[in-house]
Amino acid sequence: MSTRRKVMLGGAGLLALGGAGLAGRRAWLDREPDLPAATDARGRLLWSNWAGTESAYPAARAAPADEAELAALLPRAAAPIRPVGAGHSFTALVPTDGTMLALDRMSGLVSADRANATATVRAGTRLSALGPALAAVGQEMPNLPDINKQTLAGALATGTHGTGKDYTALHGAVTAMRLVAPDGGVRECSRDADAELFHAARVGLGAFGVLSQVTLQNQPLTRVRKVVRLIDTEELLASWPALAANHRNAEFLVLPFTGKSALITHDVTFDPVSPRGPDQDADTLMSLKRLRDLFEFTPGLRKSLASRLLADVPPEIAIDEGWKLLSNERPVRFKEMEYHLPIERQVEALREVIRRIESRATDVFFPIEARIIAPDDAWLSPFYQRASGSIAVHAWYKDEHDWMFRLIEPVLREAGGRPHWGKLHSLGAADLAALYPMWREAQAVRRSVDPQGRMLNPYLQRLLGA
Amino acid sequence: MRQLAILLPALVLAGCGTGEAPPRPLTQEQSAALRPADARLAGLYDNSCRACHTVKDSLAPLTGDRTLWDPRWTQGEAALLSAVLQGKKAMPAGGQCFTCTADDYRALIRFMAGRDS
Repeated sequence: MSTRRKVMLGGAGLLALGGAGLAGRRAWLDREPDLPAATDARGRLLWSNWAGTESAYPAARAAPADEAELAALLPRAAAPIRPVGAGHSFTALVPTDGTMLALDRMSGLVSADRANATATVRAGTRLSALGPALAAVGQEMPNLPDINKQTLAGALATGTHGTGKDYTALHGAVTAMRLVAPDGGVRECSRDADAELFHAARVGLGAFGVLSQVTLQNQPLTRVRKVVRLIDTEELLASWPALAANHRNAEFLVLPFTGKSALITHDVTFDPVSPRGPDQDADTLMSLKRLRDLFEFTPGLRKSLASRLLADVPPEIAIDEGWKLLSNERPVRFKEMEYHLPIERQVEALREVIRRIESRATDVFFPIEARIIAPDDAWLSPFYQRASGSIAVHAWYKDEHDWMFRLIEPVLREAGGRPHWGKLHSLGAADLAALYPMWREAQAVRRSVDPQGRMLNPYLQRLLGA
Repeated sequence: MRQLAILLPALVLAGCGTGEAPPRPLTQEQSAALRPADARLAGLYDNSCRACHTVKDSLAPLTGDRTLWDPRWTQGEAALLSAVLQGKKAMPAGGQCFTCTADDYRALIRFMAGRDS
């Protein structure tokens, strides 16, 4: 055998070995994460959040049927008492070894005022059920988040939001609420009654008591045109302020390592209904994963291939009532960090986030999400008195996410960002006090309704400095 | 051909044995129309399982669609219960039912798998 032939055979063998090694590495990384036991040693059932990042074995699980039952339960429930919505928060707001309290039995419309487009809703109503319930009385929530599995109470408690230049987060539409305090007292609050509690507890982390019902300022049911189209990321970043101003709702998803972004807009229309087709996002996401799997270590090739694959993709268009289009199914589980920045810092910070991911976190394949949110006046709202541009980064539920803290959070903090209460962040009470002008006042209200801290688990104690 | 000859009688016998019509896929609407007969169980179902198991885009097997459930059913009820309790792939632990007991989960699995009767 000639030397040249031996070298060629050896090279092919090394390539095959390398390929097998990469495939083996990927198979190892793609294994299901270790799962906590279904029950603990005392036979208590596992609770875990949607992403699988938090878990607990509560001693008691309560599901009161109505406000009276809730009021009777709270004073005698084992602490920490933690309300759970849909478990969509990534932070440890819910885990407790005391009482986990679900509002699942307290759901549905209480009343609706057609003339003023207001509705009073039981706090445990899931957003996915609230859409059709409000549509039946000719109303809709002005805006919705990306996912609609959450309960109303959980969404409000964490400052959950959608996107749109003139649209606040969900809690911006709350005009009144009934809150059952840890001592069982029912407090009805609004701007005109018990106003301090209203301002402090509207975004309340489930730390002020438990909401039983909420009155929302809705709007008449409208039809919107949803358009999803791919644009070069550079072009989109340059035109983002104009795009954001020209659409009722605008957001975009930067597809890292592709040079492309998906721009999603919703605008009011009177055109005939054209329902949304089957979801394509999950397939796109898994295609991006396959590209990552094959070309993780050759980002140049990955980008070049992706931009060719994504060229000439036609826009997706759907026309329907807003509640049917604004939220999406997200069947692929993930982990997420999101910060809300002063809006004028959003694009600059986003450029740095993209740069860091594409140069130092080559295993990322999930999109980076950018949205805009109007200011409001809830004391613990991340949007308190400032128009915000949000930046969210994601990792597949099986992938590591430490890069979010190492690479991304410093950028978002430096830009003056406030973290989403339900998404990953590392801030504690001292950091938060500096970001929230009404922090002290909110904590004083919290102590007044829960002097013994029965609503606080260890995570909330650290977060609130209690 | 010889394998086919061996298999054919077995398949015929299997069909005779069960007496069941082969399962057919359900539409989202047919799936969404199904509810557990027990009111309490129906309440649990409405507030948790239903949100994903009646929506094709969620990738969860549609309630009552035995073309999707029968292959899973072969894993055994214990395996299905574990998958619900601990989560699996797109399915979060507990299936978002935070007040369900283990018996509730068993009953809900049976209902969704079309095995109630």
